[in-house]
Amino acid sequence: MKSTKIYDNGHQWFMFGRDPEKPESIIDTNQYMIVTDERALLMDPGGIEVFAPMLGAILHHANVEHITDLFASHQDPDIISSLGLWDQALPHAKLHAPWIWESFLRHFGMENIQYVGIPDEGSEINLGTVNLKFIPAHYLHASGNYHVYDPKARILMSGDVGAALESDQSPIFVDDFEEHIPKMKMFHQRWMPSNRAKNDWIKRVRELEIDYLAPQHGRIFKGENVTKFLDWFEALEVGTAIAS
Amino acid sequence: MSTDSKLKESRFVALASIAAELHSVMAVAKGVSLAAKNAKYISAQAGENALGFQPITDFIDEISQQAITGVNSINEAALKLSKIAVYEQRSCNAYQRFNLVYTKHKNANHIKSLSDTMIRVEDKMETTSKKYKHRLNELVELLESMDECMRSAQSIASVSRIVTSSSNEYQAKLEIVANSLDEAAKFIKEKVSGSYHHLNHIKAYSNG
Ligand SMILES: [Fe+2]
Ligand SMILES: [Fe+2]
Repeated sequence: MKSTKIYDNGHQWFMFGRDPEKPESIIDTNQYMIVTDERALLMDPGGIEVFAPMLGAILHHANVEHITDLFASHQDPDIISSLGLWDQALPHAKLHAPWIWESFLRHFGMENIQYVGIPDEGSEINLGTVNLKFIPAHYLHASGNYHVYDPKARILMSGDVGAALESDQSPIFVDDFEEHIPKMKMFHQRWMPSNRAKNDWIKRVRELEIDYLAPQHGRIFKGENVTKFLDWFEALEVGTAIAS
Repeated sequence: MSTDSKLKESRFVALASIAAELHSVMAVAKGVSLAAKNAKYISAQAGENALGFQPITDFIDEISQQAITGVNSINEAALKLSKIAVYEQRSCNAYQRFNLVYTKHKNANHIKSLSDTMIRVEDKMETTSKKYKHRLNELVELLESMDECMRSAQSIASVSRIVTSSSNEYQAKLEIVANSLDEAAKFIKEKVSGSYHHLNHIKAYSNG
C-alpha cells in the first residue's frame, strides 16, 4: 500500500492506495487520514481486503491509539466493510457516518466502536487544531452520503464523486483533464442517480475554497482541475440506467 | 489455536448440521407422545382390564417429553456454540491480520503501538476459547443424556411387549405404541450418533 502526504502545515493529510498486492478483482480505493498532534481521523478506511496493508501503512505515520475517529462517507463495502476489524483494533474510536446507515453498518460487526450518526444537514468535528465539516452529498451516490471539507488545508474529500476507473498504477494527480474524462464518465452516469442532487451539491461546493478535490477512486484534482471537474459534472446527465 | 480456515468453516457447518439432524427428531418424539397419550386415554377407559398397561404408557409419554425437551436444549446449545465460534473467529481473523502487519512492517516508526492491541485481542481470544470449550462439554453431555434416554426407551418397548402377551384386549393397541417407541428410539439414536460424528469435527478444531 502506497502512502502519499498531500498536505503538511500544522496538520497532515495522507492518501493511501495503489496497493500492488491487492487482488486484481477488487476495485482500487483511496483511503485518507488527517493527523493532528493529538488525534487522527481515518476517512473511508476501505474493505476487509485492504485492512492489513492499510494498518501497516498507517503505522509508518501514527500510533494505533492516535487514531481516535473514523469516517464513512456511505455504507458501501469498498468504503467500510473493514469495520469489524477496526472494531478489534480501535475499541475506543468513534465512527462518524450517515445516521440513516447505522443499523445497516452494524451488520459488519461493531461491538466496541461508538457510532456517531451525522444528521442530514451535516455536522462538524474538531480534531484539536483543525475543524472539519461533514458536508451533505446525499444521493451522490448513496441516499445518506457526506464529504469531508478541511477549510484550513482547502481539501474536499469527495467520496465517490470525482471517482475514475483506471489502472492501480496510475498517478496520484490528474494531469490532463480532457484525457481523464473517459475514465470517469461512465462511473458518474451510472453510479450517480440524481441530476437534482448533483446540481445542488455543485452549487454548494462552488462556494468552498478548494485546492484539492480528493475522491475515493482514481486521482486527485488539483487547482484549476477542480473547477474543470465541477463544470464537466454540471453538464453531465446522470442516472442513465433508466431511459428518459 | 488452529489457523486452518477450512477446519473452521467445517466447524460452523458441523454445528448447523447437529441442529438439522435433531430437527427431524422433534416430529418423531411428538408422534410418540401423541400415541402414548392416546393409549393412556384408552387404558383409562378400560379400567381394571388394562392394569399394568397404564404405568407403561405413562412412562412412554414421559420419555417422549424428555426427548422433546432434550432436542430443544441441544438446538439451543448448538446455536450458542455457533455464536461463540463466530465471535472467536472474528477475533482470530483480526489477530492474524495484526500479526501479518507486525511481521511485514517491522521497521514502521509506530509498529510498537500495535503490541498492546495484540495482547488485548489475545486475552479476548483466550477467554472466548474457554467459554467455547465449556459450551462444547455441555453439548456433549446433552447428547449423552439423549442417548441414555433412548436406551431406556428401548428397554421400555421390550418390557411392554412382555406385558402385552398377558393382556389380550389391549394387546394390539399397546403393541402399536411399543413398536412406534422402539422405531422412534432407533431413529433418534441414529440421529444422535450422526451428531457425534459432526461433533468430532468440532473437537478436532478445539484440540488443534
Ligand atoms: Fe460507493
Ligand atoms: Fe467507492
